[in-house]
Amino acid sequence: MSVQDAAAPTKAASTIGTPVRRVEDKRLLQGQGTFSDDVWMKRMGYVHFVRSPHAHARIGDIDVARAEAMEGVYATLTGAEVEAMTEPFMQIAPEPGSRMEDYALAVGKVRFVGEPVVAVLAETRALARDAAEAVEVEYELLEAVVDSLATLSPTAPVLHETIGKNIGYQDTYAWGDIDWALEHADHVVSIDKLHFHRFSSTPLECNAAVVNWDRGTDVIEVRSNNQMPQFAAMFISPAIGMPTSKLHFVSQDIGGAFGLKITSYPTIAACMLLSRKAGRPVKWTEYRSEAVTASAHGNERTFTDIKVPVMADGTILGFDVKAYDDAGAFMRYEPLGGVIWSQVAPGCYRLKHLRVEYTQVLTNKCPCGPNRGYSRLQHLWMIERIVDIVAHELGFDPVELRKKNYPQADEYPYETPNGCFYDSGDLPRMLDLGLELADYDGWRTRQAELKESGGGKRIGIGIGSTLDSGTNNFGQARLVNEHLPFSGNGEAAHVKLDLYGEIAVNLGSSPQGQGHETTAAQTVGEILGVAPTDIHVKAGYDTASHAYVGFSGTYASQFAVTGLGAAIGAAEKLRDEIRLVAATALGATPDEIELADGVAGVRGDEERAIPFIGIANLVYTNVAALPPEVADAVSLNCRYVYRPPFEIPDIETKTGELTLTYAAQIHVAVVEIDEETGHTEILKYVAIDECGRRINPQIVEGQVHGAAAHGIGAALHESFVYDEESGQLLSGNFYDYHAATAVDVPLLLTGEIECPSPRSPNGAKGMGEGGGAPLSTLCAAFQDALGAGGAVVTDTHNPSERVWRLLRERSDAPRPVEVVSR
Amino acid sequence: MLARPLKYARPASVAEATALLRSHPGARPLAGGQSIVNVLKLRAAEVDALIDISRLEELRTIAATPDGGLELGAGVRYVELASAPLVRERLPIVADVADGLVDVQVRNRGTLGGNICLNDPTSNFPPLLVALGATIRIAGAGAERRSVPAGDFFVGPYRCALEPGELVHSVVLAPLGGDEGVGYQTLQLARDSWALARAAVWLRRDGDAIADARVVLGCLGPRPARQGAIEAALLGGGGGEASVSAAVAAPLEGIDAVGDSHASPEYRVEMARVYAKRAIHQALAQTEAPA
Ligand SMILES: Cc1cc2nc3c(=O)[nH]c(=O)nc-3n(C[C@H](O)[C@H](O)[C@H](O)COP(=O)(O)OP(=O)(O)OC[C@H]3O[C@@H](n4cnc5c(N)ncnc54)[C@H](O)[C@@H]3O)c2cc1C
Repeated sequence: MSVQDAAAPTKAASTIGTPVRRVEDKRLLQGQGTFSDDVWMKRMGYVHFVRSPHAHARIGDIDVARAEAMEGVYATLTGAEVEAMTEPFMQIAPEPGSRMEDYALAVGKVRFVGEPVVAVLAETRALARDAAEAVEVEYELLEAVVDSLATLSPTAPVLHETIGKNIGYQDTYAWGDIDWALEHADHVVSIDKLHFHRFSSTPLECNAAVVNWDRGTDVIEVRSNNQMPQFAAMFISPAIGMPTSKLHFVSQDIGGAFGLKITSYPTIAACMLLSRKAGRPVKWTEYRSEAVTASAHGNERTFTDIKVPVMADGTILGFDVKAYDDAGAFMRYEPLGGVIWSQVAPGCYRLKHLRVEYTQVLTNKCPCGPNRGYSRLQHLWMIERIVDIVAHELGFDPVELRKKNYPQADEYPYETPNGCFYDSGDLPRMLDLGLELADYDGWRTRQAELKESGGGKRIGIGIGSTLDSGTNNFGQARLVNEHLPFSGNGEAAHVKLDLYGEIAVNLGSSPQGQGHETTAAQTVGEILGVAPTDIHVKAGYDTASHAYVGFSGTYASQFAVTGLGAAIGAAEKLRDEIRLVAATALGATPDEIELADGVAGVRGDEERAIPFIGIANLVYTNVAALPPEVADAVSLNCRYVYRPPFEIPDIETKTGELTLTYAAQIHVAVVEIDEETGHTEILKYVAIDECGRRINPQIVEGQVHGAAAHGIGAALHESFVYDEESGQLLSGNFYDYHAATAVDVPLLLTGEIECPSPRSPNGAKGMGEGGGAPLSTLCAAFQDALGAGGAVVTDTHNPSERVWRLLRERSDAPRPVEVVSR
Repeated sequence: MLARPLKYARPASVAEATALLRSHPGARPLAGGQSIVNVLKLRAAEVDALIDISRLEELRTIAATPDGGLELGAGVRYVELASAPLVRERLPIVADVADGLVDVQVRNRGTLGGNICLNDPTSNFPPLLVALGATIRIAGAGAERRSVPAGDFFVGPYRCALEPGELVHSVVLAPLGGDEGVGYQTLQLARDSWALARAAVWLRRDGDAIADARVVLGCLGPRPARQGAIEAALLGGGGGEASVSAAVAAPLEGIDAVGDSHASPEYRVEMARVYAKRAIHQALAQTEAPA
C-alpha cells in the first residue's frame, strides 16, 4: 500500500454527547432482529409447562402416561425427577432463609399460582399444550397466605417447612442515633403505615430460550433472553452438576427485561434437564399470561411505625421505620434487596439518623425479580412520602422543605450516614428547573382560582425527588450474609483490529434495547479516531466469544460506567498497540503517533502515515516484516476489565461505598381530580434528569420517557391483586393488569442538567431505572390536592376509587399520622 | 393452535349460515373474533365449530330507513360505524361510541353484532341500544326476520334472546327528533381499557318538561339495567341541576354489582349514579332549548 494515499490526519470529531442514531434500530424496526423465539434448531421440540392452579397445595400423584402416549410427545419432566437429578439452587440468604429449597420445578408442594409443576416436550407448540392438558396432577389444598403482615402470624400457614416461618431475611440497619434525635427534635411526626404495592414491568418479549444439551460434548447451549447469564450460570452449575465452562449462553436481541429476566434461571434449568432427557433441543417461549402471572413481579413493601424527628426550622433529622418486604414464594435474587435500598439510605436528603428494621417475608405469591428501580424505589418512595407528609402536617412549603433538606451543590461528594458517596449533583437547581418548566407559579394561581370557583374539580401539584444509584459494589451482599465471597464489580470488553484493519468490539453486557452497540461505537471511535459507523460492535452476547466477568450482564444502571469503562480500556490498549506498530513502520516513537480517520500518522508530518489496514497486515499476514520484540508485544486483540475502585464494606457498622454513581430525577406533576369520581387527569408532567455526562442524549431521553411511563402506569393502573382467601391472582393478564400505553401517558416535558461524575471513567452515571419518581410525584400531587387537614396518601397505587375514598375521608376518621411537638 | 381443534366453515349466505348453525349444535358464529377467539385460546368454552359470518355482504350494510333512522348490519365493524357519513349524520352517538371502543386493532375487526351477542356487562353497545329503543332483527330458519326490542334482547351476562340456529341480522334505530337527546358516559380504568361504570340515556323534552326518558346503566349486573325509578323522577321535571341530582338518587333497579381488582361494588354503584347524572345532562343539552 502507498503511504501517500493516506488522507490528511484530521481527527474525527467527537460524537460523545451527541444524539448519534442508534445502530440497532434499523434491524429492530425492520423486523430483522433475532430474538430467542427466532432461533430454530434441528430436531427441536417445544416445551409447555403444567402450572399450579393453586396458591398452596401438596402435590400428590402425577400421571403423565396419557400425555406421553400422545403421538408427537417427546418427553415429560416432573418435580420428582428434578429432585432426584439436581441439588436445590443455592440461596443468597443466611440461616434460616438459606434452608429454602428451590428447584427447577415444584417439588412436594406448590407455593404460588402458576408455579411450573411438569414440563412437556412435543413436536409442536400446540401439541405440547394439548399434552400438558392431559397430565393429571393431584393436589391436596393447603391454606394460602398472601398478605405481607398476616404471613408473620404464628397461625399463618408455613410456606417452607425447612425454614419453619415465613421470614426469609431479617436485620436492623441503624446509623447515627435515631433515639437521641427523636428525643431532642422539636416535632416528631409518626406515620402508622405506608404501603408500596406490587406491580411489575411488561417487556415486549416474554421469557424465552432454546436450550440444547449436546450429547457428544456435554456442552449446554442456551440461546435465551436471560439478562445476567453469568449469574444464571453460577446458580445453575452447582444445581445440575455441570461446570460453568460447559454452559454456553448466547443472546442477540432482547425485547426488554427490566431486571425480571435475571431470575429466569430455574426455568432455563428445567429446559436443560428436559433436553438431556429427550435428547433434543428444547424451545421455551412464555405466553403473556404466564409472564404476567408467574415469571417475576416487583417487590411489595409495607412500612410501619414510622417516626420522623423534625426541627422547628424544617430540618428533618432522620427516620425510624419497620419495613416488611414481600418476596413472594421464593427468594431467588433476594435477599439482596434487603441491603440494596441502603445505597440510597437517606434518599435525596441530608438525613443523619436512620434506623430500618427490615424483614423479608414470604407469601403464596409469584416470586419477585429485581424490577427496574429495584429495592431503592420502595425506600425512596417512603422517604418522599415522609418529606411530603412532614410538609403537609407541619405547614412547611413543600418546595422550600425539600430544598432545605437536599444536599447543596457545594457539598458533593456528599457522604451519607452509611458511608456512601453521592458523587455529584445539584438537586436544588434541578427542582428550580422543573418548577420553571412546569409553570409552577401559574398552576398555583390556577389552583387557588379553582378552589374559589368550585366546579367539582381540583388541582394538585406534586414533586418527586429520587436517585438512580448505579454500579453496585457487590460487597454489599456481605451485609446480608457475611459468608458470601462477593465484592466489587466489573465488566469486560474486547476490541480488536480485524484482518483488513476493521475495528470489532464485543461486550460482556447483554443489552435489551439500551443501545449498547451505539454508545460503545461512539466511545471506541473517539479513542481510535474512527467514526462510530465504521465500528462493528457485535450484537448481543455470547459466552464463547465475548469477554466477560462474573458481574457481566445488563442490569442495575451500570453500562455507561462499567460497560463503557471496559470499552475505553480495551480501545486504549488497542490504540497503544497500533501506535507501537505504526511507530515501528514509520520510524517514529509511539507518542508521536496520532490516530485519525482510520490512519495512524506522525504528528505534524502528513507524509508519514499508515492506514489501519497496513497495521493489520503487519501483525497478521506480514509479521516477519516487524522486529520480533514488536511482533511479540502486540496481538491487536485487546481485552480489558473495568474495575470500579471499591473496598469491602464494613459488616459490623453496615457502612461503605455501596454504589459508584448517583443519577437523580426531579419530577413535577400537575393533576386535575374529578371530585365526584376520583378520576385523575395529568395536566402537566415534567421530568428533570441528571446522569452525569450524557454519552448519547437521545438514548438517555428514551430511558427517561420509559421510566416515567412505567411509574405513571404503576401509580394509576398497574397492580397485582391477589384474592385473600384463595390466593388467586386477580389481575393475571392484560385485561386486568393494565400496563400503561401511549394513550395513557401524558406528554412528557423533559429537562436536564449535567454534573459529570468524578468517580466514573467517562464522567457518565448509570441511569435508566428512574428511581420510581412518578410514584412519589403523583402521591405528592394527590396530597397537595387533598390540602391541609385532608386525608393522608399512604399507598403508591391510587386508581380512581382510592382517590375518591381519600376525598371522602371524614374529618373525624382516625388519622394515620400524629404530630407531637415540644 | 392455542385453541382446541375445531371445525371451520365459511357459508356464502345468511340462509346457509343459519342452516349450518342448526345442524351443528356445538357451532358458534364467528364475526370479528375479538372476543370468541380469545375465549377459545383460553380454552374457556366448548365450541366445536366456527361458522364464519364476517364476510357476508348481507350483514355488512349500513342503510337509511324511510323514517329517517338507520338499519345497521350485524357484521358492520366499529371502524365502519365510526366513519360512515350516514351514521355521523343521523345518529352521531353510535359513531362516537364505536370510535371510542378500546383500540384500533379491535375497532378494525370487532362488529356490532358480535358486541351485542357477547353481552359482557362492560360491553359498550348493549346499554346504548336499550336507551335508544333499538330493535334487533334476527335471522332464523326461513327468509323471515323476527324482531326483538333491545330491552328484551339482553338476557344475562353472555346471553341474549337468540334461539339455537339464529343469527343477529341487523339493528334498527329510530331517528332522533329535535326534541330528543342522547347521553353516554363511561368511567374507564384507563384510556383504552374496560369500563367501571357506564350510563346511557335517551330522553325527549316537551317544552320545558322532560316527557319521556330511558336511563340505562351498564357494568352493574347481568344485563343493561333500565332505571324505572330514575326515569319516573325525571318525567315532568325541567332537567335542572337539583332535580337531576335528586332523580339519580332514586333506588336503582336490576343491578347486582360485583367487585373486582379495579373497583368495589359500592364505588361502581356510586359512579353509576354520577355517570347517569352526567349522561342526562349531556342528553338534555342536545334537545332544542324550550322557546
Ligand atoms: C383487548 C380487548 C378489549 C376489549 N374491550 C372492550 C370494551 O371495552 N367494550 C366492548 O364493548 N368490547 C370490548 N372488547 C370486545 C370487542 O368489542 C369485541 O369485538 C366484541 O365483544 C365482539 O365482537 P366481534 O365481532 O369481535 O365478535 P366475535 O368475537 O366474533 O363473537 C362474539 C360472540 O358473538 C357471537 N356472534 C357474533 N356475531 C353474531 C351474530 N351476528 N349473531 C349471533 N351471534 C353472533 C359469536 O358466536 C360469539 O359468541 C374488547 C376486546 C379486546 C380484544
